[in-house]
Amino acid sequence: MSSDPGVHESRHPTLKQYVGIAIFLFVVTIVEFVIILPMEFRGAGWTIAPLAILSAIKFAAVIFFYMHLKFDNRLLTWVFLGGLALGFAVVLALVGLFTAWTPSARSFADDHAKPCTLDHELGGCLEDRVTAPPPVEPVTDPPETGSEPTPAEAPAAPAGGLVATGQQIFLTGQGEGAATACFTCHTIDGVPGATGLLGPDLTHIGTEAATRQPGVSAEDYLRQSITDPEGFVAEGVERAVPGLMLPALTAGLTDGDVDALVAFLLEQK
Amino acid sequence: MAHHTEISHHAPEEEHPTTTGINNRKLLMWVFLSSDCLFFGSLIATYMVYRGQSLVGPYPVDIIDVPITTISTFVLLCSSFAMVRALAATNEDRQGAIIFWLLTTAVLGAIFIGFQVYEFNLFKTEGLRIDTNLFGTTFFTLTGFHGAHVTLGIVWLLGLAWVAKRGRLGPKTALDVELAGLYWHFVDIVWIVIFTLLYLIGGFDTGPAGDPSLVPHSITGFLGLI
Ligand code: HEC
Repeated sequence: MSSDPGVHESRHPTLKQYVGIAIFLFVVTIVEFVIILPMEFRGAGWTIAPLAILSAIKFAAVIFFYMHLKFDNRLLTWVFLGGLALGFAVVLALVGLFTAWTPSARSFADDHAKPCTLDHELGGCLEDRVTAPPPVEPVTDPPETGSEPTPAEAPAAPAGGLVATGQQIFLTGQGEGAATACFTCHTIDGVPGATGLLGPDLTHIGTEAATRQPGVSAEDYLRQSITDPEGFVAEGVERAVPGLMLPALTAGLTDGDVDALVAFLLEQK
Repeated sequence: MAHHTEISHHAPEEEHPTTTGINNRKLLMWVFLSSDCLFFGSLIATYMVYRGQSLVGPYPVDIIDVPITTISTFVLLCSSFAMVRALAATNEDRQGAIIFWLLTTAVLGAIFIGFQVYEFNLFKTEGLRIDTNLFGTTFFTLTGFHGAHVTLGIVWLLGLAWVAKRGRLGPKTALDVELAGLYWHFVDIVWIVIFTLLYLIGGFDTGPAGDPSLVPHSITGFLGLI
């Protein structure tokens, strides 16, 4: 082994240099470890810069000496550094694209985190499916205020506001009061998100309701089905889980909510 | 040379002039390592993008064990030293030393993998699996692919040790050892990056309730650095 590490003589570093680099790498790693030793330094923002610099130094020591780029053809250095630079660019681009440079590691999640009640029947979060359907026609005028529909809104049927409110309660369970969202159990074809499978299909309930109970109008039948689900359960209604529509589910609804729901259901012809 | 042909088709690099002036196998190795930077770059980017975005635990701070991994990092650094010794022994035609250092490198690599298997198992019992949260997915994918690289390197080194045992490694076939060494050192530098990013910097990340000011985004730190 030559004592002269010069480029002309040996294309590889000497044993002494190798040992020196090994010790150097060890020491740098120990320094890195010591930086994060105190509890209050762990994960602290200012540690990132020194840690990144130290690991870059280790990185360079290994490629230039252990991998002897320093003693090799220059082209190899460019080949490798080219790939490294591209890799770095990929990192910057992806992080820039996806995190929009949020100020802290958690801030994105903190801003976007939402409660999730696991739906064991269908998978996913119940909350997701409540908010999933596209916004129904804007419910700008609650029925009680009876504001004049502007010409732009005119095409809506007179009960349009009420029907829309009903649909929203059906899909979210949130009216003036609150109930378990009806869509979790009931399907209505044509209403996005209303895909529940536990109770009867309500796609044509607007017409069927009148036939359920002799002498009871569709409207009254629907009202009763909602406010007092146990009161009368029509025969021959196909449903997966009979008796599941418990009074407690709808007890929180106000009269106004029920009016809206009934109006909405009557539209399902 | 005749007995060398079946394991190595090249003559010492000086005897084969190439347009680049570099032995083609060696150039290929460097091009491969260069492209592997992109491979690991994407995985590292994915980790950084999803860093701190897990909505359920365990979070890094709950399970990352920096001291243990510092030890395995030392083991990998030692293996790189053993690797350069193996190449030096090959250049100097010290047959016993070639085998010794090749095997030492492989064994140190295997110890590193042992640490990783231990760590993965521990994480699993502590509730972190690859499908538990974004941290689990990105962590296991990145460190798993690194572990796969190390494992491949071990197989390569053992193969070389076997060739050496048959007396077929020496100054004229030193490139065989050199290429394995390049690969091995590359795996080492990838670990240098992973260790810093996933353990020293990201290892203390907390869950959503944690104080965000304690968990700076890695990139913001990088920008502050520039
Ligand atoms: C937990 C599941 C569940 C929820 C939530 C639910 N229902 Fe029901 N619903 C049922 C079941 C089951 C029936 C059949 C009657 C029974 O077995 O109790 C039913 C029956 C009905 C009927 C009578 C259907 C027919 O064909 O005669 C109407 C109307 C109705 N529900 C409306 C609603 C409305 C409006 C809501 C939201 C406020 C709602 N349901 C919420 C399960 C549910």
